[in-house]
Amino acid sequence: MVVGIGGVPVETGTGTSTTSTASGVGTVSTRRTCGTVGAATVRTGVGPGAAATAAAAAAGTSRPAGSTRREATRRLLASAVAAAMAPVVVGASRPARPGDTTFEETYRGRRIRGVWRHRSSGVKAGEWHVTVDGRPLHLMRRADGTWLSLVDHYQSYRTPLEAARGAVDELGPGQRLRDLAPGPVGEELHRLLMGGAHGGVHA
Amino acid sequence: MAYTRKDVGNLTREERRRFVDALLTIKRRGEYDDFVRTHIRYFTADGENGLRPAHMAPSFLPWHRKFLLELERALRRVDSSVTVPYWDWTRHRTTTSVPWREDLMGGNGRRSDQQVTTGPFAYAHGNWTLREGVTDGEFLTRDLGRARAPIQLPTKSELEWALKDPVYDVAPWDSTARKGFRNKLEGWGTGRGSASWLNHNRVHRWVGGVMLGGASVNDPIFWLHHAFIDLQWTRWQRRHRGARYLPATPPGRGDAQRGRIVARHQKLPPWDVTPDELEDMGQIYRYA
Ligand SMILES: [Cu+2]
Repeated sequence: MVVGIGGVPVETGTGTSTTSTASGVGTVSTRRTCGTVGAATVRTGVGPGAAATAAAAAAGTSRPAGSTRREATRRLLASAVAAAMAPVVVGASRPARPGDTTFEETYRGRRIRGVWRHRSSGVKAGEWHVTVDGRPLHLMRRADGTWLSLVDHYQSYRTPLEAARGAVDELGPGQRLRDLAPGPVGEELHRLLMGGAHGGVHA
Repeated sequence: MAYTRKDVGNLTREERRRFVDALLTIKRRGEYDDFVRTHIRYFTADGENGLRPAHMAPSFLPWHRKFLLELERALRRVDSSVTVPYWDWTRHRTTTSVPWREDLMGGNGRRSDQQVTTGPFAYAHGNWTLREGVTDGEFLTRDLGRARAPIQLPTKSELEWALKDPVYDVAPWDSTARKGFRNKLEGWGTGRGSASWLNHNRVHRWVGGVMLGGASVNDPIFWLHHAFIDLQWTRWQRRHRGARYLPATPPGRGDAQRGRIVARHQKLPPWDVTPDELEDMGQIYRYA
């Protein structure tokens, strides 16, 4: 299936989605994910409209889990329905197929978690928030649908989980990810550019 | 008068010392870390909605050209004799080649943690502590040639494959463009694994360590590598007389790339300069 979001054609997987319920899952924990306020929603993967959700998930773009305060504030202002504080159910050792809503595993001694967070407003359907040992790993989407991480910028991977493993491969012993704030400015620049000023973008 | 950028193998001992000293000076003053931050912030991938000034886009070349000019200006404020040398990785191909000399970039990282322990940028000397990075590691890291699964630097013929393309860039103007000099040089190939990193990207991969990530500027080899990339743009222009930066005008309404790439006469964030104004550097510097 090919879905266009923001005009970017992206391949989405056809694999089945897994639900994020307690059944068949070892440890289940509920996490608060972001410091902003908003309506709480629990996402549970498969169900009515799950195909669309999965497609949206796969087509969505990613941002660092620790978006800047400024960005967070702007998002709140911009949207009356700021659905950022979603308690999410995190399961253990699930595969990261496009459409999954969470994944978690220990890889080479590092704890990798990924959560797909739905966003009800804006151009993006949502975003992946991936952490390694609890620290946010900044992921980026390529036009061909693959994923890059800020640790490993010159190679892309099929899924966020593979990108996270690639990042772990490159993390030296004892090194931890650093929370980068502010992060990349691409979206901000895009808004400025489309906001009327003819090419006069100033960061 | 225009100044000259030289092959790193042709620097005199005095030139090497001055170049390294200028780098250490701007690092000490905190200026260097601004460059690291800028590179992180302006990396937008092409599956995102944002504007891509620096990578996966036509402006890969002018953006890095301007970035190099800014660094060089900072260095020349310290020592007006300094210019950024280039690393011709089609010639200096081994882990002990000239860039990795003790009095230049220093050598490979050690096996245990990839820490660079030789040369002016070794952590133990206290002059090169990483403050802006993807990880909390404070020391410079390298894994020249990638010990775990060795790869080679790009060859002359791979570079030639990019240079002989007569068109600067083509739609969709991103990392999936199959033709065009820009992406062939930037190096987003198809497929997976080793074969998919070409030219510029492959060199980042070959150096490894911090050069792999968004904070690649933390390794000063970044500048020598990008000076050589910049030289390829000049060579390409010389070979294809009259060929210009593309696209000449911004993508039209309804085009997916509208607002996401910089056309020839648009400003290149974060600077007040256009690709058009960066095409000819003859008045500022030339390559020897
Ligand atoms: Cu580069």
